[in-house]
Amino acid sequence: MQTSQIIEALLFASDAPLSAEDLARAHEDLDEDAVEAAIQALRAEYDATGRAFQIYEVAGGYQILTRPEAAPYLERFRTVPQPARLSAAALEVLAIILYRQPIGRAEIEEIRGISSAGVLRTLQDRGLIDVVGRAEGLGRPLLYGTTQRFLEHFGFRSLHDVPRPEELPVVLREHVSRQKETAAT
Amino acid sequence: MAVSVSGEGAFIVELDRFQGPLDLLLHLIREQDIDIFDIPIARITQQFLQAIEGVEQRLGIDRAGEFLEMAATLVRIKAQMLLPRRVDESGELIDPRAELVRRLLEYEHFREAAQRLAEAEAERALHYARGFVPPMPKPEPKDNLELTWEELLAAAMAVGERARPPAEHRVVARAVPLEEKIALIIETLERFARVEFRRLVRPFADRLHAVVTLMAGLELTRQRRVALRQREPFAPLWIYRRNGKPSDADVADH
Repeated sequence: MQTSQIIEALLFASDAPLSAEDLARAHEDLDEDAVEAAIQALRAEYDATGRAFQIYEVAGGYQILTRPEAAPYLERFRTVPQPARLSAAALEVLAIILYRQPIGRAEIEEIRGISSAGVLRTLQDRGLIDVVGRAEGLGRPLLYGTTQRFLEHFGFRSLHDVPRPEELPVVLREHVSRQKETAAT
Repeated sequence: MAVSVSGEGAFIVELDRFQGPLDLLLHLIREQDIDIFDIPIARITQQFLQAIEGVEQRLGIDRAGEFLEMAATLVRIKAQMLLPRRVDESGELIDPRAELVRRLLEYEHFREAAQRLAEAEAERALHYARGFVPPMPKPEPKDNLELTWEELLAAAMAVGERARPPAEHRVVARAVPLEEKIALIIETLERFARVEFRRLVRPFADRLHAVVTLMAGLELTRQRRVALRQREPFAPLWIYRRNGKPSDADVADH
């Protein structure tokens, strides 16, 4: 079997993104460069033959997904699993965790001005956030961070791929400059 | 639109469309193109109080508390605005609204970030992963059970059997001190060259005394002060004085 066929089979059968490193474990003769080359070849082939799917980079790995043009047809079918959308509250809490991780519940609630325990539990149940440590201080509160599953859900390649806080229209000058100060010291 | 102005200029707000008081306050400010660094606090406070009127009934007491807390903050700032301004260490006037503005901007920043996440989510949702995960089948309502009382009882007993809590393992402090038994052995062997183990134990009903007496015997053996002898398994166990001169004449069991 050709390398590109092995890679194609793995991406076809996997239900989560696979990194080049993961894929290289398929055969002793494979390394990451060979995997990347095979993926480029497959991509070109899918474009040339007009396949309805393509290999996308998601969450530090590769995944076969349908092209966006297919969405209007797919969303009508009950046998096609439809992507779940998060609530506004869940997105708000995720945004705070994303840019301030690791962060505890009290800090999140301070920023939002409302209780957030239920939202945190839901996000954790869905694997989008996880406990990444404990803060110093009274009660050693749990600290949350985003997960691999988070990157997958939003289609980000990595945490460097998320919108940069400076690009957001309302920039918290104070916080950004404070971060720069700590980075400089 | 979640906010509309009625005939008298009062705001009618669907509170549950807001993610709490900061969201509502920010909405009031942005909706009226108010400069966030110069909030007309008296006007905004009045609008905020109108918007949350009857909040306890509308949202329940838990969520109402968060709105009422913000209302209190606004009223406090409004009062501070009427007082002469205080100055900070560097001699600059302190704006009583500063902390509120900082919180509003911080919140708006994350609300914007959440909006970006929603856009990324929508874009990602256009791509479908391969593989069908069948939805969980809904449990069908079962027919009425047909069974005898004996079967039901047996089933209930079986549940009881399985549901029985694990046996508790209690650890209690040793009621019989080891030192007491060591003293007993030594005292006895001061008078007699040897003593049968059973005689030391017999006066006590609790088996713990036998255990502790044996432990005392073993401890004294380790210290080479006594010797334990037993001719064969289950034969009488004898405790001998080590440094004394054992003789048959002064045996303890006469």
